[in-house]
Amino acid sequence: MKVSFPYMGSAIVYKKLFEFLEHEVIMPPKPSQRTMDLGVKYSPEFACIPLKMVMGTYLEAIEKGAKVLVTSGGHGPCRAGFYGDTHRNILKSLGYDDVEIIIFDAPQDNWRAFFRNVQKIRNGVPWHKVINRMYTLYRFVQKLDELEKMVQKIRPYEVNKGQTTQIWNQIQEKFDKIKTRKQLYKVYEECKQMLLNIPTREVDEKDRIKVGIVGEIYVVMESSINFGIEEILGNLGVEVERSLYLFEWINDNLVPWILRPKRFKEIIKKGQRYIKILIGGHAVETVGHIIDFKERGFDGIVHLMPFACLPELVTQSLIPKISKEVDIPILSLPIDEQTGKANMLTRIEAFVDLLRNRKRGKTKEVFIDNIQEHVQEERVVMV
Amino acid sequence: MKEIYIGVDVGSVSTNVVAIDRNVNVLFKTYIRTNGQPIDSVKEGVKQLKETLGDVEVLGVGTTGSGRQLAAAILGADVVKNEITAHATATIHFVPDVRTIFEIGGQDSKIIIIKDQMVVDFAMNTVCAAGTGSFLDHQAERLKIPIEQFGDLALSATRPVRIAGRCTVFAESDMIAKQQFGFSKAEIIRGLCDALVRNYLNNVGRGKNLEAPFVFQGGVAANMGIRAAFERELQTKIIVPEHFNVMGAIGSAILAKDYIEKTKARTNFRGFDAADIDFSTSSFECKGCSNRCEVVKVSMDGKVIAMWGDRCGKWTNSL
Repeated sequence: MKVSFPYMGSAIVYKKLFEFLEHEVIMPPKPSQRTMDLGVKYSPEFACIPLKMVMGTYLEAIEKGAKVLVTSGGHGPCRAGFYGDTHRNILKSLGYDDVEIIIFDAPQDNWRAFFRNVQKIRNGVPWHKVINRMYTLYRFVQKLDELEKMVQKIRPYEVNKGQTTQIWNQIQEKFDKIKTRKQLYKVYEECKQMLLNIPTREVDEKDRIKVGIVGEIYVVMESSINFGIEEILGNLGVEVERSLYLFEWINDNLVPWILRPKRFKEIIKKGQRYIKILIGGHAVETVGHIIDFKERGFDGIVHLMPFACLPELVTQSLIPKISKEVDIPILSLPIDEQTGKANMLTRIEAFVDLLRNRKRGKTKEVFIDNIQEHVQEERVVMV
Repeated sequence: MKEIYIGVDVGSVSTNVVAIDRNVNVLFKTYIRTNGQPIDSVKEGVKQLKETLGDVEVLGVGTTGSGRQLAAAILGADVVKNEITAHATATIHFVPDVRTIFEIGGQDSKIIIIKDQMVVDFAMNTVCAAGTGSFLDHQAERLKIPIEQFGDLALSATRPVRIAGRCTVFAESDMIAKQQFGFSKAEIIRGLCDALVRNYLNNVGRGKNLEAPFVFQGGVAANMGIRAAFERELQTKIIVPEHFNVMGAIGSAILAKDYIEKTKARTNFRGFDAADIDFSTSSFECKGCSNRCEVVKVSMDGKVIAMWGDRCGKWTNSL
């Protein structure tokens, strides 16, 4: 089967999944302006940006020859649960009758449908091989996420601007070639060393700024739609951690309940202090992570929300209260098809200024002092 | 020879250039319409500065606003800073006990919350521009009233009229409806000012604790109608600083001054000849990797002097 899937975050993981199931994989292109144009053109106007970008991705994948599109469905009341069906209807209306969409809804909602889908994509690969390879993939995701977390901690202090990102790109290429578990561990060690070899500046612990990124999964994970926020913050000298990593998502959603790490339950519990019921769109998780980041000593939160996403709007309206009670600055950024970066940069820079001020103490002298440091950073960007 | 620091704020609607001395006395200020030509307006501003002040020694240059990178490349700036920090810096200098700054510009409107002379919170209009100067501009044009007379006309109204303020499209149809009812232009404009202020406080100020003293700045602060609407809504006096429409530029000049004084660095300023140099910008899509960044390239007399927009630094670092 010529299989493709939505592009989100480190898409090589999904590619690996289907390679392990011996499919012919059509790698969807990284979302670009063209993806957006296509998606916006063929999606309902009121839909949020993830639906549109995924629509565009599907159309580009079909252009490259994809016949089967595999995607996740929804769980709970967020309308993302309808997106698979919406995409299917749109494709049908465009005349792609031969393209099949396989939607994986949360297994606990309907085990039978889940296994039917698994049978479909298993592609006749014997079960013992499937299990063995899925375990390899599980470790693959884990190692890739570990490296990405390192990237996010090294980037703000790199001496040569852009080097960490370049190495991260190389790492992803290396991972793309991995076939076995043995290779995986070997490549992982190599890549780790590559990252550790990046020359960095010594920065005092009290001058380190840490920002947590929370919000709806697509806009948090997919850098092409969030202006590359992790890199922007990293280049401003800020350490970043996301609320969502694929490995954790797999643990939280796909690993059988008894084997799940406790962390996820704790996050939900923290979130339920403010949102009692599940309203989808990672709203409860977002709030839970805000509190969690604060407890772990982070300095600020960037909250990414797709424009017109209802669960995120609920979160946004709670944010002033949370920010005050938990005492952490939170910047909400709505994300839609606009590409004007200036406005976004202004907010992010001002937010980082604010965080530095808070951290360093509250005098005017400090206010000036940290600006200089920042100026130098910006001048590097400026040539 | 006078020693000065230059501050430049390149916004979507206006480009402001100021010169301050060591004690932050404003020696020169100009407010030029950007008209979509930021390079020309920056050159024009600097040229005016030179003509007005004569022989000066420039000790430092700061830029801010959405065109800050471009302006910095043209002039050779020492400090490139976002407009929220720049506005706060200037306001704290002129009104040291300020707690809340209302800043309404052409495209963006902001609220900045200050405590102990430090920015503790801020907000900007999110996706729509219904609470900004462009909205007023557009309505003035539609009613065929010069924007300069807009405020005075609003003040002359005797009856309040309620206009829907959430969105320009709704506001416009509501205004037309009220015109059909027989309300005068003055009354409708007053209603529009009220609507804009209501919308701004509701939208941008959502969830913020707004505390006096309030300072109102940005181009729209010239509008007496809006000022009055703010005072009606907040039931208190709001301060409009003397240099209300160039505060961002003053702030960036102060930041440049502080930076130079503290580091004793020499300025990168290109000199006043920059106004005669031919600058041009272009952009291209880098195909080096799947990111497909849009890279902006600034050339001076045909030679590339600055590039930005590439996420990996391939082009930025190539100079």
